[in-house]
Amino acid sequence: MSVEESDSGDDTAASAEADVEAGTTHTLDGDAILRLRDLDAGYGDLQILSDVDLDVADGEYVTIVGPNGAGKSTVMKTVFGLTTYMDGIVEFEGESIHGLAPEQIIREGIGFVPQTDNVFPGLSVRENLEMGAYILDEVPEDRIEEIYDRFPILRERKAQKAGTLSGGQRQMVAMGRALMLDPDLLLLDEPSAGLAPDLVADMFDRIDRINDSGTAVLMVEQNAKEALRRCDRGYVLVNGENRYTDRGEVLLGDEDVRKDFLGG
Amino acid sequence: MGTTDSSIVDSARARPGLLLVALLGGLLLVDLAAKLAGVSLGPVGGALSADRLGSNLWSGVVIGLVIGLAGIGLSMTYSILSFANFSHGDLLSTGAFTGWGVAFLIAGVGDVPLRALLTVRDAGSATSGDIGAHILSTPIAILLGLLAAFAATAVVALALDRAFYKPMRDRDGISILIASIGAALIVRYVIQFVYGSDRRGVTASVEASNLAFAPLGLSVNAHDLTIAVAAIGLMLAMHFMLQRTKLGTAMRAMADNKDLALVTGIPAERVVTATWIIGGGLAGASGYLYVLLRGTIQFDFGWLLLLLIFAAVILGGIGSVYGAIAGGLVIGIVFTTSTIWIPSDFNEAAAFAVMITMLLLRPEGLFGGVTTA
Repeated sequence: MSVEESDSGDDTAASAEADVEAGTTHTLDGDAILRLRDLDAGYGDLQILSDVDLDVADGEYVTIVGPNGAGKSTVMKTVFGLTTYMDGIVEFEGESIHGLAPEQIIREGIGFVPQTDNVFPGLSVRENLEMGAYILDEVPEDRIEEIYDRFPILRERKAQKAGTLSGGQRQMVAMGRALMLDPDLLLLDEPSAGLAPDLVADMFDRIDRINDSGTAVLMVEQNAKEALRRCDRGYVLVNGENRYTDRGEVLLGDEDVRKDFLGG
Repeated sequence: MGTTDSSIVDSARARPGLLLVALLGGLLLVDLAAKLAGVSLGPVGGALSADRLGSNLWSGVVIGLVIGLAGIGLSMTYSILSFANFSHGDLLSTGAFTGWGVAFLIAGVGDVPLRALLTVRDAGSATSGDIGAHILSTPIAILLGLLAAFAATAVVALALDRAFYKPMRDRDGISILIASIGAALIVRYVIQFVYGSDRRGVTASVEASNLAFAPLGLSVNAHDLTIAVAAIGLMLAMHFMLQRTKLGTAMRAMADNKDLALVTGIPAERVVTATWIIGGGLAGASGYLYVLLRGTIQFDFGWLLLLLIFAAVILGGIGSVYGAIAGGLVIGIVFTTSTIWIPSDFNEAAAFAVMITMLLLRPEGLFGGVTTA
């Protein structure tokens, strides 16, 4: 399984001390539910990703950080088949999902929360959640109740049109919708984008709880420091290529990563 | 017409044009009151009976319901498939001819050759009056004709989608719009080839075709009533479908945000298929009802009606199903009540004038910004 790139030679398991050096082993030794290998993808003729490797283990919390235009969101969209696939492996739970329609990928157990415009504004909160379970024959009432338990404000607002909600509440609707089928892996594209600063920590807490309940999370975040503090592992992408991969706190402790990608 | 809407009132200060329109509208209302009272003050007033106003309003509502029903499909394809479908008018013609073919078949079977019946033609000495398609004499024929109009037009709309629009799904709206003009020509001339190009009457004249509602002092044409009941029934069914069913919710979701619908797992092509079946079917039903209203049929009537349907849809706020219904009613009522002041040759002009005024004052339309919901 391993397409291991040459390691920098340092101990990737180093604890979060200052001046540790981040690892460049981009693959896991054990089983991964999501497995990307040598992935090339882009939009039309424009190639964005080249030879990207990425793993997410069962129940793991992985975040992708990097400068603007590094291809972070492109990785997620490629998993969902929304970009132009060029070459490489996209596997989920041991099977290739390349070429599947989004509705089939959802059936396989992946949920996706896009960055912006991620609710149906003209639909009520409840209808938004129902759409998340469209592929089921029956509306799963017990699952809707679970989502309401997780985000109690949504129960209060269930009849309200999602377009009239605040940014934070919309983000909850979007996550609730993606969680309707109890996915094994949740893809989150910049969940803190557009949120008021005092709501950002709350949003990250909610993501922690989703992950604690067993759902693996792959997240792209502008708010890189907070994301790396919270996650199990982080990938630093630069110009559509892997640069560093390590435990979040190791990446935070690496001087180069800090200086070049986290603003000092 | 929504002139009490607070956002319109707010915009009065910013836009004096609104004041002008309100002034003109007020003047017409004063004149209307004077006419009804029989008072004549210079240019204002004259004579108008309450009966005539009532019948103008009623026939406006009936025409408006037909146009609104036709507008629903146009609005749906606009909001879900993102293009203005110029073949929509010819779908009305499709429904009218196939529906009336079935109505004739049932009403006139045995007396007239089948081929003549199915192609909605008079045959020899048997005129449409002899065939006797009328809601009072042959109600089953009229109702089954309506069903046939819906079904046949849904099939044609779906076939057009598979042949022309589906291969172009990822293209921009203008390219598909131009393709739809081509599709409109094909449909129109296939209809002309099969059914002929002459205008002919289709409804039988039945004695005492007015239904009297004595306690209310009303007397209503049976066909007008049929049209109103059928149109309102179909609109209510549409409303129920959009608001209460999973498919309807998915349609509204796709109208809101197609990309999000895709990653949410809504099967886009299935929703598109349903959109053509329902939108096309309603177009066919409205074409059939329009012919029931007019009593005559001609191969290009749908195309000629398309501009008025577009006016209704734009007036209501393009993309909104409820806007299409409201816009249809406004257009229909303007269409018939304008004859109080101007010659009836100009009543279409009056309808378009109202649409243009609306676009100037409220470019998003009556239900603007609301897509399908």
